[in-house]
Amino acid sequence: MALDGKRLRDLGLNSERLLMPAKGPSNFEEEVNDLEQKLGLTTLEKAVAWAQTNSMWPDTFGLACCAIEMMAIVASRYDIARFGMEPFRGSPRQADLLIISGRVSHKMAAPLRQIYDQMLEPKWVIAMGACASSGGMFNNYAIVQSVDKIVPVDIYVPGCPPRPEQLIEGIIRLHEAVKAGVPPAYELRSVAK
Amino acid sequence: MATVTQRRVGDPIYTQSRIPQPTPSVLTTSEELRATGDIMTVNFGPNHPSTHGVLRLIVDLYGEDVTGLEAVVGYLHTGFEKNMEQKTWWKCITYPERIDYVSFQNNEYVFVAAVEKLLELEIPAKATWMRTLLCELNRIHSHLVWLGTSALELGAISMFWYAFRERDLVLDLFELVTGERMHTRYFQVGGLAEDIPRGFYPEARKFCAWMPKAIDDYETLLTRNKIWLVRTQGIGLLSADDAIALGQSGPVLRGSGVDWDIRKDEPYLAYHQVDFRVPVYPEGDVYARYRVHMDEMRESVRIVDQCLDRLENMEGEPWIADDRKVVLPPREELHTSMESLIHHFKIVTEGFRVPEGEAYVAIESPRGELGCYICSDGGPKPWRVKFRAPSFVALQAAATMMQGALIADMIAAVGSLDTVMGEVDR
Amino acid sequence: MTDFDAIPGLVELIDAHGETTIVVEREQLADAAAHLRDEHGFNFLSDITAVDYLGWGDAGVSGYIGTPAGRDLNTPMTQGYQALPQAKPKRFAMNYHLLALRATRPERVRLQTWVDEGEAVATLIGVWPTADFHEREAFDMMGIGIDGHPNLKRILLDDDWDGHPLRKDYPLGGEPVRFSDAV
Repeated sequence: MALDGKRLRDLGLNSERLLMPAKGPSNFEEEVNDLEQKLGLTTLEKAVAWAQTNSMWPDTFGLACCAIEMMAIVASRYDIARFGMEPFRGSPRQADLLIISGRVSHKMAAPLRQIYDQMLEPKWVIAMGACASSGGMFNNYAIVQSVDKIVPVDIYVPGCPPRPEQLIEGIIRLHEAVKAGVPPAYELRSVAK
Repeated sequence: MATVTQRRVGDPIYTQSRIPQPTPSVLTTSEELRATGDIMTVNFGPNHPSTHGVLRLIVDLYGEDVTGLEAVVGYLHTGFEKNMEQKTWWKCITYPERIDYVSFQNNEYVFVAAVEKLLELEIPAKATWMRTLLCELNRIHSHLVWLGTSALELGAISMFWYAFRERDLVLDLFELVTGERMHTRYFQVGGLAEDIPRGFYPEARKFCAWMPKAIDDYETLLTRNKIWLVRTQGIGLLSADDAIALGQSGPVLRGSGVDWDIRKDEPYLAYHQVDFRVPVYPEGDVYARYRVHMDEMRESVRIVDQCLDRLENMEGEPWIADDRKVVLPPREELHTSMESLIHHFKIVTEGFRVPEGEAYVAIESPRGELGCYICSDGGPKPWRVKFRAPSFVALQAAATMMQGALIADMIAAVGSLDTVMGEVDR
Repeated sequence: MTDFDAIPGLVELIDAHGETTIVVEREQLADAAAHLRDEHGFNFLSDITAVDYLGWGDAGVSGYIGTPAGRDLNTPMTQGYQALPQAKPKRFAMNYHLLALRATRPERVRLQTWVDEGEAVATLIGVWPTADFHEREAFDMMGIGIDGHPNLKRILLDDDWDGHPLRKDYPLGGEPVRFSDAV
């Protein structure tokens, strides 16, 4: 469908980027840029980071409702194969990224830590959804109130469940952070108290 | 018929039962096989690509034969029931959705229906029809997720992409109506949270026109596919008597030849006013359950069409009950009516009170009989809420189905039970 | 309604909200269950629910109850006074939701029995094999002993978990949330 010389806003598209053409990069993008300059990665490190980012294979760690939305990003509409992340590895030894999608009960905490330990460095963790980030709506005896009590987390994606686009945003932010040189979470911090 | 006092634990209730003794849900390796020393115990741990969530199966293998099976659950235990005892009845509605996270609106409905039963509320017709429509769309959604993941586990990997393509269409409809793809929280005690938006009916019609062609696509890929037939026919056998004794319901029961569907036999919502067929297949294997699922998807599309026929003529009708003691008044009234303001305040702060009593409501969720038992002490919070989850009961049948089977069949058989671990563990 | 008077151990029959509840003595639960299955055709056990009534009636129910019929001026204690719910015979109730799965005239009924702290109920696996998981859950969550269950282990919680969470004297747990009274 050709635009016929019309501007997008004439066709009803009123997104922020169009309404404020002078808008600069977001907070996150600015910080990432600063970081890149400060850390001063060598070309080799940048190349390694680029390679890690574009082929970061997740582990099949779907627990609950968020897992269904995680499966949706593999599906054709929100395809993460575009980002090189289509092969969800069954074995943690072959995976780089652990997307903890769903509520973690105390019974599941031990297998979770075991899976995390079996992954080889470098490894990243995304806490997907409210339950993984903070315990969500389940502030009770059964659920671990945030997986960062068990594993160090790089990115927290809010939502209940997060839309596939939200999860992809989280993944892309992780990619940008890695390309900027941010080390994985286990080098920066240990688990929460 | 044996008299009552002679029956002991461990006596099969009829001959030819294949239910393992003494524990119905555990298959134990026989002593002579164990004595050979060739038994290998394998742990299909909670993190496994093919176990539909966090299910742990401890399997005894004699070569490729499964001789022992035990399901260990509880890795997703969330304490729903205890949490719901601390929330008011209205705030509780967000919790049941997350129990069976694939057919969320059925869970919402069963809880709301139990509360409405105790309150003895009259629900307006528009809300009833819309609830029926959404529950049926949710059935399609659930079967699509089942189809995509089960076929993926058996190696028919393309099915995942086909099924999830339509699943996104269903979720688009949910988002159009309720604002949220999953866990929509659209059902309220008394009806629906908001009116149905205007663009919904044409979009739903488009979906209903497209969906039968998509189901034809799936059937073309699988129904007469030689590999699929060999992997699913004769696998995971469950007789009708065993299925009833084990409390199975839904596609597992109908795939074993028992014609029981709560929508037809104990109708709720608007199911007695729509015309649909209940598919029943007598073979009792994985293939029969697959056929039941596919036919149910087609029937659900027909039901959605019929609901749309009715709903399109109901513009302007109320979508929630009128009882201001339970239902929030419309916001415009708050500016003019003192009583509305007081009702709004009471309902939001303290919560409406449900009369003392207990109720059990059972509906046909995509997995089978989903039941909700509530006990109220007359206060604004539930005293006890219990969900009868069909997947919890379905897992008990795994031991019976896996007798004399091979390890590769275990994935097919356990997958065909359509378990959702959120439901199992609550 | 079918005739339930011949059930062994029958204490009372309650009819409310279109549901029939059959209350039986705890000692004759297995006999009553087998009688219902064989004589009345209740061949399907839907659900076993254990309820803990500790503290029942401590929070009085005051004044208005939300029903469409409105306040009943003739019902005592609905005018703003504290109305207390009726006292229960024992601490725990075990409810067995049964279904007579037949094409003509399916029927649902609730079999109920009262249990005190420390008392146990007989297992119904011999009557309905599906009772297996449900009884394990009742034991796990409420601590109600099941006599004769061949595999009575915890099912939803860790094997070494202490306590029975769904009891009313077990705390909800979780973490305190700042600036929020609601749990």
